[in-house]
Amino acid sequence: MVRKRRIIKERVPTPERPAEERIHDFKEVNLGYTFGLAVKEAERCLQCPYNYAPCIKGCPVHIDIPGFISKLVQYRDDPDKAVKEALNVIWACNSLPATTGRVCPQEDQCEMNCVMGKVGDKINIGKLERFVADYAREKGIDEELLFEIIPKIEKTGQRVAIIGAGPAGLTAAGELAKLGYDVTIYEALHEPGGVLMYGIPEFRLPKSIVEKEIDKLRKLGVKILTDHIVGKTVTMDELLQNYDAVFIGSGAGTPRLINAPGINLNGIYTANEFLTRVNLMKAYLFPEYDTPVKVGKKVIVIGAGNTGMDAARSARRFGAEVTIAYRRGEEDVSARIEEVEHAKEEGIKFAYFLNPVEFIGDENGKVKAVKFEKMKALDERDSRGKRKIVGTGEYVTLEAETVIIAIGKHPNRLIINTPGLEVDKRGKIIVDENLMTSIPGVFAGGDAIRGEATVILAMGDGRRAAKAIHEYLTKKREGQKANA
Amino acid sequence: MYKILEKKEIAMRNVWYKIQAPHVAGKVKPGQFVIVRAFSNGERIPLTPVMWDAEEGWIVLITFIRGKTTMKMAAELKEGDYILNVAGPLGNPAEMKKFGKILAIGAYTGIVETFPIAKAWHEIGNYVTTLHVTFEPMVVLKEELERAVDSHIVETVPIDPNLDFPTNMKNVTKRLTETVREMLEKEDYDLVFMVGPAGDQRAVFNVVKEFGIPMKADLHPIMVDGTGMCGSCRVTVGGEVKFACIDGPEFDAYQVDWDVLIARSGYYTDMEQRAMQEYMKAIQGGGE
Repeated sequence: MVRKRRIIKERVPTPERPAEERIHDFKEVNLGYTFGLAVKEAERCLQCPYNYAPCIKGCPVHIDIPGFISKLVQYRDDPDKAVKEALNVIWACNSLPATTGRVCPQEDQCEMNCVMGKVGDKINIGKLERFVADYAREKGIDEELLFEIIPKIEKTGQRVAIIGAGPAGLTAAGELAKLGYDVTIYEALHEPGGVLMYGIPEFRLPKSIVEKEIDKLRKLGVKILTDHIVGKTVTMDELLQNYDAVFIGSGAGTPRLINAPGINLNGIYTANEFLTRVNLMKAYLFPEYDTPVKVGKKVIVIGAGNTGMDAARSARRFGAEVTIAYRRGEEDVSARIEEVEHAKEEGIKFAYFLNPVEFIGDENGKVKAVKFEKMKALDERDSRGKRKIVGTGEYVTLEAETVIIAIGKHPNRLIINTPGLEVDKRGKIIVDENLMTSIPGVFAGGDAIRGEATVILAMGDGRRAAKAIHEYLTKKREGQKANA
Repeated sequence: MYKILEKKEIAMRNVWYKIQAPHVAGKVKPGQFVIVRAFSNGERIPLTPVMWDAEEGWIVLITFIRGKTTMKMAAELKEGDYILNVAGPLGNPAEMKKFGKILAIGAYTGIVETFPIAKAWHEIGNYVTTLHVTFEPMVVLKEELERAVDSHIVETVPIDPNLDFPTNMKNVTKRLTETVREMLEKEDYDLVFMVGPAGDQRAVFNVVKEFGIPMKADLHPIMVDGTGMCGSCRVTVGGEVKFACIDGPEFDAYQVDWDVLIARSGYYTDMEQRAMQEYMKAIQGGGE
């Protein structure tokens, strides 16, 4: 049925806490929609048909976006029912919507080709997804839905081990548990969540939300063993003896460093160390929490990706004057638009075309300045479509009491030393089209195979791997039956 | 959650914890360490299993009370209580081969890390002498080492109550370097190994270097995750950046940049003291 509708060009804004207030704490910046606002935004959606909708095509896990949005409008008189129906649609493809609604780069994915964009603002898909997840969690609707699913699960009797409790591993675990497998996650740190816990700051993704998402997995029967380092506490061989299949979602945990004199001076943090201290160990609550972190008055963050923004905005919340130094120009900043905007609102300065060449220390071995070479861009582009840059031979020195290196990460080294596991030159695990590694029955996904990507791509891999593991184990089961 | 099976103060500021941790006990090798998180708002600290039993599933950790965490563990954890997290084993096992005649040194509670390595070296046929230099009331594992190696020497330094702790520690450093020099002059060793504060490791290295004897040092930079993820423990070895947690903890003492190590080890001293003082005030003030 085609209904005539009025086009509403402007997006319904989501309330945000003002910059001057939020830079003094780690509470969430964006407050999200209320049901009323969510329905207003949902009504703007043109409801493209499933086979055409560019948002579904743009989503790495292909959520039926018009489908879940339509439920909010259809059941507008019964908010609980509207959210339950919408959540059911989302869960068919994505088990962590409260997280992805907050951290996905929607502008490059679902929202990129939104048809509404041709006449006005694109639909705020991310905030609608987040609303559904948040409302459901606060009202216990997600648990209700979960308890409807649990009794329907048929146990297969087969066991799957998952390495790493980050986005890829958690997603794979949830899917496999729903398919009836006995799933155990091995996690090296003391808390599950991976980058969602140690990397992404509280003001962008509250840790209580991640904990709730993990609780749901436990209710699905997933076991989580923290403090277990695969390769040390337990070997791959032992896992293969005790489980029918293994999924590696160990992420990209090894920080890249800058090969420049003075890199080991005090006051120079990798973004991983700085964010781990602040997020996972809660150093912003020192001395109530025991882990210290030192943030000087002047902070330089090197790198302009999402991690750079997270580090810069965290440092800002300690009262620091923060500058992000990037070796390329503004057009090549790779962080999400929302993060860059928030960083600017919060008073973080951006300095472009600066490449660090030396870290200068004081007599106590503590950093006091960074020497940069000024760069310039050429017209020629590299394989990633970014303009190539060259040094100009001119140098500039900027003072800093704290320096945070956020130039990227490599896959975890502990896991890639597994005998028989093939990796490429950069340490990325090599997989086939079903995400199976060189070891039969061992699958991998997320940053462990991609180097460094996004939460949603890792989750997409977790889902694909779960499907592939299901097929692999179904065959194995049937083979065993045939032999019996 | 890992149950404390046994807890006792075995010497001044040295506390022994026997902990149910089968996942570590079944796997740990001499030279490896664990990361312990004892309290929900606590930090992650590296500690070294001193002894263990794979079958019974326990490990022994000995802590030296030097900061808030070790003090709070000593004050608040009882037998039967649980430690929240024991992750491991981490790091690489010590190199196990026949070196010949080995001098294995532990300064202060560093001896507890020397113990399993020295014992294992002895068991594979090395002639092992261990040297423990510490303050008089802080001697630990004396009988155990006497049984485990060929020769165990304990050198103690009295604590002068009129001097502050750092000055007292200088006396230990002096005794340490003097003793090592005497021993190296008297006998030929094929390898020197040492665990202890970075400053003492460097002081000993400066003596060993004069004799041209190979030396290995177990390094203890500040760690957070212990799995190669954060880079807090990075050290400069042979001009390259290494992570002590996954590349070490044992390194060739001749290749270590001691200035970098010592500077990095002391970066949080002021905050550590503040945390400890506030904790002491809180417990002396009558609790909550």
